[in-house]
Amino acid sequence: MARINSNTELEELRQEILSKRDQNKPRIAVCAGTGCLASGAAKVIAALKEEIKKQGLNADVDIKETGCPGFCERGPIMVIYPEEICYLQVKPDDIPEIISETIKERKVIDRLLYTDPTTGEKVTHESEIPFYKNQKRLLIGTNINIDPKSIEDYLAIGGYRALAKALFDMTPEQVLEEVKRANLRGRGGGGFPAAKKWETTRNVPREPKYVIVNADEGDPGAFMDRAVLEGNPHSVLEGLVISAYTIGSHEGFIYVRQEYPLAVENVDIAIKQAEEYGFLGQNILGSGFDFIVNVHRGAGAFVSGESSALMTAIEGKVGEPRPKYIRTAVSGIWERPSNLNNVETLANVPLIINNGAEWFTSIGTEGSKGTKIFSLVGKVNNTGLVEVPMGMSLREIIYNIGGGIPGDKKFKAVQTGGPSGGVIPEQYLDTPVDFDELTKLGSMMGSGGMIVMDEDTCVVDVARYFVDFLCDESCGKCIPCREGLKHMREVLNNIVEGKGNEGDIELLEELSRLMTKASLCALGTSAANPVSTTIRYFGDEYQAHIKESKCPALVCKELVSYYIEPSKCQACMICLRNCPVEAISGGKNQIHVIDQAKCIKCGVCFDACPTRFGAVIKISGEPVPASLPEKERSLVRGKK
Amino acid sequence: MDEITLQIDGREVKAEEGKTILDMAKSLGIDIPTLCYHPALSPFGACRLCSVEIISRGRSRIVTSCNYPVEEGLVVNTKSPDVIELRKMLVELMLARCPNVKIIQDLAKEYGVEKPRFKLEDEKCILCGLCTRICDERIGVSAINFVGRGVDRKVETPFQGTLDIDLDVCLCCGACASVCPTDAIELEDTTNKKPIPILSEYNVGLESRAPVYIPFPQAVPNVPVIDREKCVHFVTGECKICEEFCEPNAIDFEQEDEIIEVEVGNIIVATGFNAFDPSPIYQYGYGRLDNVVTSLEFERMVNSAGPTEGEILLKDGSHPKSIAIIHCVGSRDEKYHEYCSRVCCMYSMKLAHLIKEHSEAEVYELYIDIRSFGKGFEEFYNRVLDEGTIFIRGRPAEITDIAETPEEEGKLIVQFEDTLIGRQRRLPVDMIILSVALEAQPDAEAVARLFNISRSADGFFLEKHPKLDPVATMTDGIFVAGCCQGPKDIPDTVAQASAAAAEVLAMISKGRVEVEAATAVINEKICSGCQICKLVCSFSAVDYDEEKKVCRVNEALCKGCGACVGGCPSDAINLKHYTNEQIVAQMEGMLV
Repeated sequence: MARINSNTELEELRQEILSKRDQNKPRIAVCAGTGCLASGAAKVIAALKEEIKKQGLNADVDIKETGCPGFCERGPIMVIYPEEICYLQVKPDDIPEIISETIKERKVIDRLLYTDPTTGEKVTHESEIPFYKNQKRLLIGTNINIDPKSIEDYLAIGGYRALAKALFDMTPEQVLEEVKRANLRGRGGGGFPAAKKWETTRNVPREPKYVIVNADEGDPGAFMDRAVLEGNPHSVLEGLVISAYTIGSHEGFIYVRQEYPLAVENVDIAIKQAEEYGFLGQNILGSGFDFIVNVHRGAGAFVSGESSALMTAIEGKVGEPRPKYIRTAVSGIWERPSNLNNVETLANVPLIINNGAEWFTSIGTEGSKGTKIFSLVGKVNNTGLVEVPMGMSLREIIYNIGGGIPGDKKFKAVQTGGPSGGVIPEQYLDTPVDFDELTKLGSMMGSGGMIVMDEDTCVVDVARYFVDFLCDESCGKCIPCREGLKHMREVLNNIVEGKGNEGDIELLEELSRLMTKASLCALGTSAANPVSTTIRYFGDEYQAHIKESKCPALVCKELVSYYIEPSKCQACMICLRNCPVEAISGGKNQIHVIDQAKCIKCGVCFDACPTRFGAVIKISGEPVPASLPEKERSLVRGKK
Repeated sequence: MDEITLQIDGREVKAEEGKTILDMAKSLGIDIPTLCYHPALSPFGACRLCSVEIISRGRSRIVTSCNYPVEEGLVVNTKSPDVIELRKMLVELMLARCPNVKIIQDLAKEYGVEKPRFKLEDEKCILCGLCTRICDERIGVSAINFVGRGVDRKVETPFQGTLDIDLDVCLCCGACASVCPTDAIELEDTTNKKPIPILSEYNVGLESRAPVYIPFPQAVPNVPVIDREKCVHFVTGECKICEEFCEPNAIDFEQEDEIIEVEVGNIIVATGFNAFDPSPIYQYGYGRLDNVVTSLEFERMVNSAGPTEGEILLKDGSHPKSIAIIHCVGSRDEKYHEYCSRVCCMYSMKLAHLIKEHSEAEVYELYIDIRSFGKGFEEFYNRVLDEGTIFIRGRPAEITDIAETPEEEGKLIVQFEDTLIGRQRRLPVDMIILSVALEAQPDAEAVARLFNISRSADGFFLEKHPKLDPVATMTDGIFVAGCCQGPKDIPDTVAQASAAAAEVLAMISKGRVEVEAATAVINEKICSGCQICKLVCSFSAVDYDEEKKVCRVNEALCKGCGACVGGCPSDAINLKHYTNEQIVAQMEGMLV
């Protein structure tokens, strides 16, 4: 491929690519994102290729291995064009049928379609599935049309048009102005206006300047940046080059976690292709602007996502936050001005340049514009990636898109913003999701993690989980964060084990205040959020643990006892046989009894007892009823 | 540079750009607690103790003063209720981690923290990072650093010592241990090199000293010196902390030794003696058994300005109940020195007297003969006897720590023959002082060669005549004084030195030197510059002229012995007065 040397050449190439493509030719897109690969997409793709070869359809059908479209719950996902038929949970065995029925006969296979859980109706087209219908997918919507390893696919959907526009039709000042007017705020957590940061770095009279992509997404359960980087790496590269042009930087870094091998691979390929085509390197598109990108793989520390720690890591040192009251935008990598943006922030930039700030600001709320991708996980029917306009309420996201809570359970809370975010209870479900509203509730947008919890979730246990995570992931440098977290964990462990004391809640609150005020970096100052918000909204649950030794959600092992309801026990011996410590006595026609002294509270009996009996119950906060005397244990069955 | 005005605790202060709040607070005498801060190291921001409340651009917040740069109009409150509450809790957290560390206990007392509400640990390290920073930033080797993160963070060597690799980078300089505020670093555990303390020469190794030190309290000039072999800067080129801290900028790493040439007419050699090292006498156990010390070591120990401030201490820190002083160690001994060192009897008795004065210990003197020959010496001997020192005549055969009876358990036992009662005895004591001999300096040979003076069989410099010329040497203008000529005590040394000075003064006041009438003279026209004459001259009277490539005779030194005349292969040298030809002519005349 010859380098593209002008805007005209770029458009000619684009026309050439498009003209080669027959819009009516059947095209099978299979998600090859990490989620679908985990549920067997690789085998589906192999079977698909095999079958097409067998049937001699090589020339008639295109296969596309794409990035993640978000509905990971129902992977592997397949979309067949031009009809846009969406098949979910496709297995290799379904392939021959798909080829013979859908491809050859143009017939839809009902079995593989999405079924609406309430109405039982089948949904044929991807865009009509409620999960997708209620989203506004500006960033990940095109993933299903793109093979992330192919720059042509990206060009076909208008890729690098924004870069050409910025380079040839706009001055850096104009680009800056446009992004400023779009009020694009950082998607990595803080929500700091991107243009303001760009301007700061741009105005520092020191060279060289660096631009960096933060792809060190370490929150448990979050994979927004991963999906963008894996599924559409060129969009991030395009945004990065535009930011570099605006700032006046000629070298950039992509800091990506080592744990994202596919993202690393796709980004590497994308950089190589972009260099070949002239979107990177010397004299980009013949504009005279030079810019190169290096990929830096993170070594697995959560704290390296913090801006100064990330820059220290790029310098080759241990990723630890710097003790400096000077912004990295002014003095970052090797004390040079360094602009750091999140993956999602940069992916938005080409959209803003192409469509204009007015278009962008028409989406979202007063203070937060555009869309935001969330990874919706936990106790929700449709887990996956969702992209919604800013300002959509939590309720809409969880119920309309997420499909509500599985198993008719009650919603309890949603945790947003990752380990340093907060827990939001039901009464705030109608809160519009934007940067400022979430902060008001004591939580934060973070990078977009959203963990839904139902009534079976103990919030104290959740707080303990996050504190435990941060104990390992704090860098350990400053005392409030390291020692504070350690003792928080200690106190929380005591509480969930029923050893809580009067005053523990106040102590936790005091520690939270200290950490928030005195810690060195943002990880430390926000580390107490899970604890402080759970105390704020679920204080009574803490009290129950401490004062009554009761876990209302029946989760905390040490506070829960298992008991067999004599009136319900059918003496089926399932629990008895499954008990690993032989704590259950009983026999044929003998009502089973748990020996509380032997019971290790593993819960196997609870799970084993057939639901129609429901004889094994959990008890917390009250004494276990005395066992039946031995002579009364004979089971008298009613006549059928 | 523009000055910045800020306000700290209500007091206005002007600061240079780049200074921190902590710098300025210090200049005002405002105390802000710190733990991880060190003026020679980059700020770290880990302990957060130096947190203060600031109002900057109308916004109030908490920042760490050690790294917050001063800015115009900044208002700082170092002791706001928020700050105090925050520090108090930090101290509580630290006390929970390190309940047995002095500096933390002191802080706890200051902030009124009694018992932490948290689970107690027993750590010593507070993870302030001073050690890792000094090793990296100042020593320049980074032999230790933090490993792990979060609550598992700790300071470690590379690979945590689990791999059997040579951790060469550590210089074993001890900077980490010296900067540690909690004494958490044991050098032995940190490095796989053996820490070698720099022992104080002046205190004969009884204490260590720093690489920059004042040699001894009465040193002239009384200024510190840098030990180039030990100073980290001279090893790695880094550090230079002392330079930063020396306010008058007196430290000059470029300074070199200077060789100063002085032209003089007379020289008095007074190079002193060397104290005999008793380690070769294996049976006395010096260096092998604890609490066997030399008289010089004990002398430092008993000195009130010494390392123990005059306290007599055993190795384990306790006070000895009995001390034996052994005379004639290395002297009057045909294996080492046959001569009597002349001073040991008296200084041993002085030590006995000092022990009696400083402690309750029983003192034994084990002697061969008591030689208290000087003025007042015998009287002193009697006084020491009266003080209760026990004198035993007999030269010890062995000092051992192997007990034979329960009373000897844990003691040093001196085995000897008491020659006054003619019986073998064993004497258990806590400490043994070896009264070591005085011997010639190890470089006496080189010095003798330099000045062309002779040495007697015992190695000391030889005087011209023991009775008639006791301070002169065989080389004119070179005199000896003091112990370099032979063991002697202070009065004798002073007397001899005065005599040498008088000899020199006599020469100076005369203003001229009488030379031998018949001295050798070299005919430069014939001299080939072979320097044989220089070799054969016993009086160093011949010099070689590098420029003219000929030899020349110094008439002031020449004794006219004629050795060079006979030695010259080209007959270039003649003695003054009668030439060879004249003598031959005279002889011929007599024979005719």
